[in-house]
Amino acid sequence: MRHAMDRFYGLGGALAALQLLIIMLMIVIQVLGRIIDNTLLMLHQPPWGLNVPGLAEIAGFLLLGASFFGLAYTFRAGAHIRVTLIIQHLPRAFRQVMEALMILLALGITLYAAWNGAWLAYDSYDFGDVSIGMVPVPLWIPQSAMSAGLLWLAIALVDTLFEVLKGNFATLNHSEVQE
Amino acid sequence: MDMIMMSMLLLVGLLVLLGAGLWVAFALMGVGWIALSGFTSIPAGDSLATALYGASTSWELAALPMFIWMGEILFRSRLSEDMFSGIAPWVGHIPGRLLHTNILGCGIFAAISGSSAATAATIGKMSIPELTRRGYNREQILGTLAGSATLGLLIPPSIILIVYGIATEQSIARLFVAGILPGLLLIALFTGYVMIWSWLNKDEVPEETQHLPFREKLKHSRRLVPVLLLIVGVIGSIYGGLASPTESAAIGVLLAHLLSWKYGALSWSTFSQALAGTVKTSTMIAFILAGAAFLTTAMGFTGIPRELAAWIGTLALSPYMLLFALTLFFILLGCFLDGISVVVLTTSVILPMVEAAGIDPLWFGIYLVIVVEMSQITPPVGFNLFVLQGLSGDNILKIARAALPYFLLILSGVLIITIFPAVVTYLPNQMGQ
Amino acid sequence: ATSWDMPTPYGDTNFHTQNIRQFAEDVRQATDNELDITVHSNGSLIKHAEIKNAVRRGLVPIGELIMSRLANEDPLFEVDSVPYLASNYDDAWHLWQASKDILAQRLERQRLKLLFAVPWPPQGIYTQFKVNTGEELQGVKMRAYNKSSERLAELLGAQPTQVEVPDIPTAFGTGRVDAMITSPSTGANTRAWDYLTDFNHAQLWLPKNMVVVNLKAFRRLPQAQQQAIEAAAEEAEKRGWAASKAETDAKIGIMQENGIRVSEPSEALKAKLQQVGDTMTQEWLERAGSEGQKILDAYHAM
Ligand code: NA
Ligand code: NA
Repeated sequence: MRHAMDRFYGLGGALAALQLLIIMLMIVIQVLGRIIDNTLLMLHQPPWGLNVPGLAEIAGFLLLGASFFGLAYTFRAGAHIRVTLIIQHLPRAFRQVMEALMILLALGITLYAAWNGAWLAYDSYDFGDVSIGMVPVPLWIPQSAMSAGLLWLAIALVDTLFEVLKGNFATLNHSEVQE
Repeated sequence: MDMIMMSMLLLVGLLVLLGAGLWVAFALMGVGWIALSGFTSIPAGDSLATALYGASTSWELAALPMFIWMGEILFRSRLSEDMFSGIAPWVGHIPGRLLHTNILGCGIFAAISGSSAATAATIGKMSIPELTRRGYNREQILGTLAGSATLGLLIPPSIILIVYGIATEQSIARLFVAGILPGLLLIALFTGYVMIWSWLNKDEVPEETQHLPFREKLKHSRRLVPVLLLIVGVIGSIYGGLASPTESAAIGVLLAHLLSWKYGALSWSTFSQALAGTVKTSTMIAFILAGAAFLTTAMGFTGIPRELAAWIGTLALSPYMLLFALTLFFILLGCFLDGISVVVLTTSVILPMVEAAGIDPLWFGIYLVIVVEMSQITPPVGFNLFVLQGLSGDNILKIARAALPYFLLILSGVLIITIFPAVVTYLPNQMGQ
Repeated sequence: ATSWDMPTPYGDTNFHTQNIRQFAEDVRQATDNELDITVHSNGSLIKHAEIKNAVRRGLVPIGELIMSRLANEDPLFEVDSVPYLASNYDDAWHLWQASKDILAQRLERQRLKLLFAVPWPPQGIYTQFKVNTGEELQGVKMRAYNKSSERLAELLGAQPTQVEVPDIPTAFGTGRVDAMITSPSTGANTRAWDYLTDFNHAQLWLPKNMVVVNLKAFRRLPQAQQQAIEAAAEEAEKRGWAASKAETDAKIGIMQENGIRVSEPSEALKAKLQQVGDTMTQEWLERAGSEGQKILDAYHAM
């Protein structure tokens, strides 16, 4: 079960990474297109006009996807930052209560945001909102991706809450930053 | 004045949530929610969803994960270690030695990137582990980084100068040029401080023992070549008309991969670890930015920043006193809101009084950026502090204390451009009419 | 008293924003301060991209946006941006009268009430070389930001090139783009003389900003306040159109003072633009269908 859950968060991280990779590749193609055109123009040849339609807007959407799909993975890796200056000095039992409370608070905010994000997406779907650039993207798609990422995070929060209630602070103490 | 009561309540709320150990992004969202539900009739949930969505789909923001990724690749392929080894033989006699690489590295990187967080993340990824390994004083490593990464905002290209230029119809080209000398001024202040500090604390700066003859030094410097190629490639892609500043970040990622492959350091594991590291850092920053965007919207609805700024306007101050009051105002607000948001929320109110006082809006733009730079390193909400906490694992107050001298140096930079406005206006005045 | 927050996309010195501030002041006066509209300019409260949905969802009761942003959703909102369909203030006014009711109906489906619309100064051609016959545009990189600007560049024989607004000066400076189409306002406000040399006052089209209000929020107001808003809106529209005309002359003057060469379109260029415009009008009609035809019929009958 533990293994399956970690794979589930890892999947979110992988999807986020994939979206960053696509952003990078799209931009590289765009720049290559310019290099080719500039070269052809120098040789007095007609340019190919190779470009990625709607690059800026689509990169923005992919960035949103990467930012939200990566939330749960980042949380489980202990990379979302917070101030532990006070709570790390609390007696263990007291700290357990505080940690659980903070996770509950975070969970409340996450679900609240996911719920309202879902309404935003539903509304955009209902009225057929699309983006304004060269490639009209229905707005409900990125907006639902946002809510999906938040739900992903909510699951990780619940998971961690159970760990904390069992007295296991591993995820909260976990820090991979000192490699 | 109940505005003051409201502000105090929100500040206390933010401090309590942060102190209780709530994650920063959630603390910002929580206070935004309190502000909207407590003091306005605005639907808070709707506003939250709109702000999170709007703040996260931005083309300019796409440069941030790209630059972080570039730093990850350089770090994992040992190209960054090579860079420090290449520089080390040259700085043996300079007080502060490799600490200056943080300042100059940030200064150079600031000429590529428009963001202070990207600058801190990219340079910090490379320099924190390497300088720590070499035995430099931890506080100075973090302080130089926190302080000089703020140059990302001032040295062109600069996101915040674009925001200011569009809002106030100032020429962005002129604003960019105006940022150059003040940027160099700050670099000089930082470098001077590091030298004096190192001279006073000789034990805290390790010997870079390689006192080599000139030819040997040059030989060692060959290890600098890959990183130099990268910098030339990225800057060249902008000024050669091949890429916009945002696009150049992706070019940097591609070049970093090519170089580390060329030098035999690219493997599946470096590639995937670098991407995983990128996801963690950029997701963390993006989530805080989204939370900050919501808090900004909430503050906009409560009207607190506008009314405070308008209140300063009613005092009918002399130009110098006005600048003094505004500096205090921006430092105070900058502790709790992201600096760019403070500018966006208050420009409408502040610019007319600044112009009425006879202050040049071009000069004021640069002044604003430098003041906003300070907000990046003041707790509890300071983006460079967040980035460095993420990179170093040190707590935010320790980093803030390390950054304090640099805060004061930036403040003295503000003083200098106020007394000598020509530092700002000289270069743009040289531009053709 | 009721207070309303009103997000607008452009800066405080922009004539649209100034007109809207006056509108808010008029409403305050007419309602004895009972309805207080706070204008949040420059996207400081809500960014341009989110303003329509924020008003529709009632997050804010009222807001401003450029009409052609909705082109991908509904081609009817693009009618003011079809090149050379209405290329001076009189024609633009007629086209607005011909399209107003249909557009208002469409917006009502989105729970929005259309209050008024004010045009930008006519779009002209900015280049780093002189444009005489239009042949000069052959093969040059022309800024494109949506489907119709891309199509326009293609029909002019230029190479459509994507450039984001903040990137325009750098893109011209480094040769990523050679030409763009925008209004004298945008040109003067971004100090086009810093990065290009020529402006052709071709008057391709006059895009409009519109002010919309959430229907529910509007109906919740007492009758007298509703009337006050509508009266102030009518005034704002008149004032805005006049301000736009004055803006055109003023901003062209500013550009000339700063050394930009301003030219009027030659007969050859006009003919070429007319040809391109006819093609694009036809293509727009295919997208806009019978409602689009109705607008055109009403427009031509004026
Ligand atoms: Na910069
Ligand atoms: Na701060």
